[in-house]
Amino acid sequence: MSNDLWAKMHGGATHFPIALVMASTLFDLASLFVRENPGKTRRAGFQAAGCYTIVLGALGAFGAVGSGLVMSQGQLFGHGNLARHHAFLWPAFGLLISLAVWRLVVRDRASARGFKIYLAGSMLTAVLMAAAGYWGGELLLQG
Amino acid sequence: MSIEAKAGLLGLAAALGLLGVTFGLSPLLQPATAAASKEQSIKIASAAASPTLEGEAKRGRSLFDHNCAHCHGDDARGDEGPSLYDLKKSEARVTTIIKEGIKGEMPKFGTKFNDADIQALIAYVRTLKS
Repeated sequence: MSNDLWAKMHGGATHFPIALVMASTLFDLASLFVRENPGKTRRAGFQAAGCYTIVLGALGAFGAVGSGLVMSQGQLFGHGNLARHHAFLWPAFGLLISLAVWRLVVRDRASARGFKIYLAGSMLTAVLMAAAGYWGGELLLQG
Repeated sequence: MSIEAKAGLLGLAAALGLLGVTFGLSPLLQPATAAASKEQSIKIASAAASPTLEGEAKRGRSLFDHNCAHCHGDDARGDEGPSLYDLKKSEARVTTIIKEGIKGEMPKFGTKFNDADIQALIAYVRTLKS
């Protein structure tokens, strides 16, 4: 398969985990601030959405990382903008996997403190992924 | 141990394991690059046997290493940018692309390279045959 095609696949695949992690963080944040309805389903609904989106984001990250590695011919760090991209990417990938596994195992049994620590990790992951995406864009525009 | 602590340890193990697998497998994608780079050096050496090309292609290689390898790969077989092997584009087209770039894909080098530099780069690129 040509390198050009891998570059396009990476460009397409990489937006799924970025968007899904950000959406997950927003759903979970909303669950903290939303006013509960009489049936007490509103917060649970937001948290369920937060759970599914982060798990889907983690699954999507495999496609993004895989296509990126093939495209860069196995370069884990590189130099210049590629190194900056990777400096944010690898911590984000590790954190995302940890958080998704934690969320899948704990589900709705999280304590208030545990959930807040998770949410802090989720926000950090979203920021790291946005930064990795920014430097990925710079790679395209500036080389 | 609470379910949260167990899940935290499991998550940490999964992340470290996956990063380990990713970092461990990535060299499998690299040997082809190293081999291709070696093969390319041999080709450049033979291309350099041509008296008119020797200086230009060598200088083009140096310019390529410092300005283009970043995207097209150290061996010009593609990285962020496409492979430059067996390039079918005309000299005029390549010159235009180098000077004006490709919107959203490749930066402009018109102010950085003069005509002689571009000729040297083209001479180098023409030696890249698979």
